Amino acid sequence: MTAPTTEKVATTPWTGQSLPRKEDERLLKAQGSFVDDEGMYRQGYAEFVRSPYAHARIVSIDVSAAEALAGVITTLIGDEVKAMTEPLFQFAPKEDGSQMNEYLLGVDIVRYQGEAVALVMAETREIARDAADLIEVEYEPLPVLLDGVAAAEPDSYVLHDSLGDNIAWKGLFDWGDIEWALEEADHVVKIDKLHFHRYSSTPIECNAILVNWDPGTDMIRVVSNNQFPMFGALVIGPSMGVGVDQFDFVSQDIGGGFGIKINSYTHIGVLALLSRKAGRPVKWTETRTEHHQSGGHGNERTFLDIEVPVMADGTMLGYKMRAFDDAGAYLHYEPLGAVIWSQVVPGPYKLKHVQVDYTETLTNKCPAVPNRGYSRMQHIWFLERVIDLVAQELELDPVEVRKLNYIQPEDYPYTTPNGCVYDSGDLPTALDMVLEMIDYEGAKQLKEERAGSGKRIGIGIGTTLDSGTNNFGQSRILNPELPFSGNGEACTALLDLYGEVMLKLGTNPQGQGHETTGSQVAADILGMSPENIRVWAGFDKSHSAYIGFSGTYASQFAVTGINAIIGAVEKLKAEIIEVAAHAFGAEQDQVELVDGEARIIGNPEAAIPFIGIANMVFANNSTLPHEMAERVSLTCRHVYVPKFELPDVEKKYGNLTLTYSSQTHAAVVEVDEETGKVQILDYAVVDDCGKRINPMVVDGQVHGATGLGIGAALREAFEYDEDGQLLNSNFLFYHAATATDVPNIKTDHIESPSPFSGTGAKGMGEGGGAPLHTISSAIQDALGPGKAIVSDSHNPPERVWRLLNWDGPADERGVSVASKGTTS
Amino acid sequence: MLLAAVDYYRPDTLDEALEALVSTEGARPLAGGQSLVSILKLRAASVELLVDISRLEDLRTIEVADDGAVRIGAGVTYDEMATSPDLHQSYASLSNIAAHTVDAQVRNRGTFGGNLCHNDPINNFPPVAVALDAVMHVTSKNGDRDIAAGDFFTGYFANALSPDELLTGVTLPALDGRSIGYQEVEIGEAAARAVAVVATSNGNIESANVALGCLPIPMRAPGVEAALAGAPTTAEAVAEATASAADGIEPLTDADASADYRLAMASVVAKRAVMEAIEGGHHG
Repeated sequence: MTAPTTEKVATTPWTGQSLPRKEDERLLKAQGSFVDDEGMYRQGYAEFVRSPYAHARIVSIDVSAAEALAGVITTLIGDEVKAMTEPLFQFAPKEDGSQMNEYLLGVDIVRYQGEAVALVMAETREIARDAADLIEVEYEPLPVLLDGVAAAEPDSYVLHDSLGDNIAWKGLFDWGDIEWALEEADHVVKIDKLHFHRYSSTPIECNAILVNWDPGTDMIRVVSNNQFPMFGALVIGPSMGVGVDQFDFVSQDIGGGFGIKINSYTHIGVLALLSRKAGRPVKWTETRTEHHQSGGHGNERTFLDIEVPVMADGTMLGYKMRAFDDAGAYLHYEPLGAVIWSQVVPGPYKLKHVQVDYTETLTNKCPAVPNRGYSRMQHIWFLERVIDLVAQELELDPVEVRKLNYIQPEDYPYTTPNGCVYDSGDLPTALDMVLEMIDYEGAKQLKEERAGSGKRIGIGIGTTLDSGTNNFGQSRILNPELPFSGNGEACTALLDLYGEVMLKLGTNPQGQGHETTGSQVAADILGMSPENIRVWAGFDKSHSAYIGFSGTYASQFAVTGINAIIGAVEKLKAEIIEVAAHAFGAEQDQVELVDGEARIIGNPEAAIPFIGIANMVFANNSTLPHEMAERVSLTCRHVYVPKFELPDVEKKYGNLTLTYSSQTHAAVVEVDEETGKVQILDYAVVDDCGKRINPMVVDGQVHGATGLGIGAALREAFEYDEDGQLLNSNFLFYHAATATDVPNIKTDHIESPSPFSGTGAKGMGEGGGAPLHTISSAIQDALGPGKAIVSDSHNPPERVWRLLNWDGPADERGVSVASKGTTS
Repeated sequence: MLLAAVDYYRPDTLDEALEALVSTEGARPLAGGQSLVSILKLRAASVELLVDISRLEDLRTIEVADDGAVRIGAGVTYDEMATSPDLHQSYASLSNIAAHTVDAQVRNRGTFGGNLCHNDPINNFPPVAVALDAVMHVTSKNGDRDIAAGDFFTGYFANALSPDELLTGVTLPALDGRSIGYQEVEIGEAAARAVAVVATSNGNIESANVALGCLPIPMRAPGVEAALAGAPTTAEAVAEATASAADGIEPLTDADASADYRLAMASVVAKRAVMEAIEGGHHG
């Protein structure tokens, strides 16, 4: 029998509790610090001159009038930038080495409305703005290319001469045997075209950059809200001829990123050049119109010639299609999207035979950059459209056909046709739960009751995957020469001189609550309250831990960031215990950490508070053995590295992502037959992100992703006119969803722990764009069989109205079925 | 902050304001600034002098006459319209429209007169004024004049005022038992909008004024009005009478909707506005 006094003190874990966020108090009291709140001594203000044309040759730029204006410090134009820098790094040059030449400012030719061609720096923002108006740029307009499919045609106008055509990347993805499957299938459902639209999750805070190229030290201090600064440094450093060691990236609070804020690195680079030229710090705060025109848009994708082999019972064997992704005018982070979609090739379904002919093209639009759900949501929207159309055309129940084709709970870990390993999940249970939450049977009854009333009811389902912690080795599928693979994150955990616990993260968060969740997991390891753990707010490259992948993007913090924290704090714990054991003259396994003290297990009287441990190491080190005093630092850095292998680039095969969260959404909508307006009557989400570190933070992410998705599905689309002018470059015309536009969202969860993440947690937060799938599905349900199909991810009133009023011939519906034994 | 350099003047009296408007080339009145300042930030308009009329007490009153007519000062904010007990009693539907205009921040500053003068097609009050046969009271150093609402709006962002004139207020005639319907297809602010002012008696429509908004010039629909007069108050009859609402209008195409869609929506919002009026008027 074990005496009670020798048992460790048992406490309720902090991990798993919905603790209020540490960040919220300062944010709610307006004590947060965003870039525009920051300043530097002698800073000037920059204003960009941007092209009003979507495509034009720059004939001349005259800065003389601007430079003559009182208060103007200096100017910078593309030709100067070209003379002092190299073109930006490109991920995937063609085999013959040809690639686009993009500089940090537009040179010779501008290729989208809003492309920056010149910069002016002045003593005040107002003077900078006035001076920008005085910079005279003469343009010679060129033909405008806006269609991402037509851009691939051999006779298309070529936007980048050095590239030779408008193809950013092209590849055939072919797994299983699609031709066999199409032959074998009882039915082949054919869909002519589906289109995923261009929008942005529009962070509330636009880009902002404050940079000082210190003339004395050659250090470049960058205060910005870029969300992946190490990536930016890797791209712009070589272009500018500066070492990454010269950059000090700093951020504190960031008002949302969603991937869009990866894109600001070109502006960081050119503002640094401007600062060097001026010999002074320079600040730039983007306007909303600039942000919409040039800050970055989500990827627009067109799916053509879709063929889906289906067995008589509804089992789908796979699909075949051509995809055209419109990357806009330049490749920023792209063409990574051309492979990132393949993290979710079969979506949530057991599809074995897949062929995708994928082409990424260039057009005269704003560059596409990652946007919440990046590249995977476009693909899963496509798959969800497919499964609903399969159900509709074959007169199958959309719930049953999903359940039949779902990867089942017992199938995990499940290897997809391209070698990705889905870690865990329970999709059928999630679907049952979410349908109960919207009262599925009641909704079906309501649909019958409302038939003929002018207000149709539609019920939609969207199952989606949020793949997180990607293996950067997938970039080699684009270009086998790329020196990237794996992933990871870093953290430093330390005791300060009086025993205070501090964590410094590499994650550069944008509102995800890392100070809160980080302190929760650290508190459990150190046996203390999260309140007593300080997490450095934001990121500072000069002292925060980091690696090349550091940042917050692609649904990975719960795995990479948390495991880095756990690793660092475990190292710190081991050092504290080692020092304490020495002081106690005890074995290390006799020591536990409780309430900020190291104690002999079972004896609260024998305790050394952390201040005592810190004292021995930092200020009283003669009390320690010399070897220990030099080895133990109480400053413990850990890099978490997920276990990944290099993919097979020939077969485009390999495990591309570590974890797969799922979200199952369901909606009941009312469609106004006269106007086409869609109103959401009920909306529910079941989230499964494995073990939840802070359920309230998870719920917040679910709400946020759902709200943005609903906005995208019904309200938000970047629309260009035929001249390439963006028609909605401000919030008057671009209808970002606000709180009052988002319905009450019912949420619930299941927890399928990941066997691969250590903690059982999975990355989440992007939500896989599920509302786009769900609302398309609901509108399709409201339209009913035999009608037009929902072929676009954006469904504002007019588009739905046109679908409602479509009465074309049956063979122009955009979908058809060829069945065995019948002629198609 | 991002405006081009512009002079600013806040007169204490209406007369000083009028003097500034007549004596300065490029002078322009500034009321709530909810549209004008945004335009100035985009540097899409050139103004030399902003004459801030927002604190002129002469423009800030709501007066209800004994006969039920209402005079609303041009400088009255949407919020003041929404919360005025007098207006709510005499013109409840107008209060309700004001209460649901944009958001609280805009309602606190945006003014009735500014909304009318600016005549952005998405503005909500121009078709209201036209449907009600409102009288626009205008003044300048040369004297006063009244302009019928139907003559006030002259085009996209344009009105009948000369640069030295100021809209001081608007008189809305007594409703005399009529009800106001106000219906729109909400895309952003609105892609189509109709206002109906309807009198009914014993299950029939006695009279109906119907105006369509979201147009460069808000337009009455005389054919619809004629068809409604004397028609029964049934949904079928109203639908039939309003079917021609799009006749003669030329809506815009923009990122929100095409002209074709807006044409098709004209009869929808007209019908709904008339039915709403029949059913007691707009509640917001």
